[in-house]
Amino acid sequence: MSGSGQRLNVVPTITTMGVVKARLVGATKGHQLLKKKSDALTMQFRQILKKIVQAKEEMGEIMKASAFALTEAKYTAGDNIKYIVFENVDTAIIKVRARQENVAGVKLPKFEHFSEAGETKNDLTGLARGGQQIQLCKSAFVKAVEILVELASLQTSFLTLDEAIKTTNRRVNALENVVKPRLENTIQYIKGELDELEREEFFRLKKVQAYKKKEVEKQIAKNKLLLEEESRKDAGHKVDRDGIIGEQEDEDILF
Amino acid sequence: MYGFEALNFNVDGGYLEAIVRGYKAGLLTTADYNNLCQCEHLDDIKMHLGASDYAPYLANEPSPLHTSAIVEKCTQKLVDDYNHMLSQATEPLSTFLEYITYGHMIDNVVLIVTGSLHERDVHELLEKCHPLGMFDSIATLAVAQNMRELYRLVLVDTPLAPYFSECITSEDLDEMNIEVMRNTLYKAYLEDFYRFCKKLGGATSTIMCDLLAFEADRRAINITINSIGTELTRDDRKKLYSNFGILYPYGHDELSVCEDFDQVRGAMEKYPAYQGIFAKLSFGESQMLDKAFYEEEVKRLTLTFEQQFHYAVFFAYMRLGEQEVRNLMWISECVAQQQKSRIHDGVVMIF
Repeated sequence: MSGSGQRLNVVPTITTMGVVKARLVGATKGHQLLKKKSDALTMQFRQILKKIVQAKEEMGEIMKASAFALTEAKYTAGDNIKYIVFENVDTAIIKVRARQENVAGVKLPKFEHFSEAGETKNDLTGLARGGQQIQLCKSAFVKAVEILVELASLQTSFLTLDEAIKTTNRRVNALENVVKPRLENTIQYIKGELDELEREEFFRLKKVQAYKKKEVEKQIAKNKLLLEEESRKDAGHKVDRDGIIGEQEDEDILF
Repeated sequence: MYGFEALNFNVDGGYLEAIVRGYKAGLLTTADYNNLCQCEHLDDIKMHLGASDYAPYLANEPSPLHTSAIVEKCTQKLVDDYNHMLSQATEPLSTFLEYITYGHMIDNVVLIVTGSLHERDVHELLEKCHPLGMFDSIATLAVAQNMRELYRLVLVDTPLAPYFSECITSEDLDEMNIEVMRNTLYKAYLEDFYRFCKKLGGATSTIMCDLLAFEADRRAINITINSIGTELTRDDRKKLYSNFGILYPYGHDELSVCEDFDQVRGAMEKYPAYQGIFAKLSFGESQMLDKAFYEEEVKRLTLTFEQQFHYAVFFAYMRLGEQEVRNLMWISECVAQQQKSRIHDGVVMIF
């Protein structure tokens, strides 16, 4: 990352500055919102982590109990009971449905199990011996499946949230360290350019004023000269004119 | 006939009776089980079993031992013993020995049929069959597309054929639920075995009929309890009860109307043998019923060894061998799953 020396390449006018300022405001707002989102997601993340730890411990217990229930079933119903049940299976009774849940804007997948109704086909397994143990084993494993589904659901949300948090944090950091400085630098640059233009303008104005003043002075000087010349000329003429017309006063003509 | 077996039993059966008594002496005792229950790891179990008859089977297992491997090898030993005895036997002992395995054959057939109905691979299914119940044409079972074909093409040649024809017409074959079919076949098998033993006469028939009666009654009680609350109707339930045994016929009538475990217990009050079993369980608890039945069965099986010159010892040895494998499976699983506290819930001491 080239740090804060970067800026956008824009024409440094007032309108572009307005535009860039608006973008800066947007970036700041976005940064705050994203930070809030990141915090909310992190909180959810920690909660899910706690739930996962609990579910895993529970699963350990339940799997142990179900494995033992299987041993009891094998004891009473014969060792082949596993294969007998396997071969008798047609379709799954417990099925899993996937839903999407919206948590702080992130779509998390959630699994829930449901059982198809009306599947009593396997209830007669072990009719002559071990039937009870088999039913117990069945319910133990149903419980195990339930908690496995829950655990799967929690783990996928965990992974998805992890991804979402990483992306959000990436965006927050990008805004904070790249976009905003860039925009700020652009604004500084534009301001700088505008100031310079103003200074240039001012300077130009001053120069023009000075020039005009000089012109005016030159003009005045020129007029003065002209006037002086005229006055000299006038002075000469002034004698002649005095002989003819001069100081004679005409008598009034009286008839 | 009873009483003169001593004269000519040893001619045909003496060698094998001696062999089976030798096998029986190799079954694990209470002291062995106590040692095994103290083990911390499966390797310790393997070490303890190294001193028993299972040593050659477990010796070559690689070190991260799995409970299923232990069970497989021990079952293999039982199968080898059985095959050894079968190869040496003459009639009628050979037929008797074959009868012992029909139960497993029925399980295998049902397994393959359900598997092929759901389009699974035949070879995988064959690997999952119980080794005691294998017969030659078992792989061809997978060829059949529906039950009628199954019967027509395949089962006709197997020893199970008469059970299919006796109890099931061809319409029933298609629709019947797999478990009901399995239990109907088993009922026909038990009745057939019962008739065969009766024909043999002498000590064999007395002892075997007793054992088979217990088996039939135990199945009836289990079927009743396990079908409470399912869609099996009372008539269907009654059809699955065998037509011999202490409970036949009045006990069966009572059992078929039971809707609840305590009603079953009440119905069994009149039969002292079974009432004793139910007395071991407190009110409302039904989980340990299977274990109580196993204990009673083991007690009766060990009693057969008290008499000589009959075939029931072979049946007893096979059943006791299966119970031993079950015990070993339970102990290994408890040790592997760190559930040592439950280990005594499942072990039935034989001697």
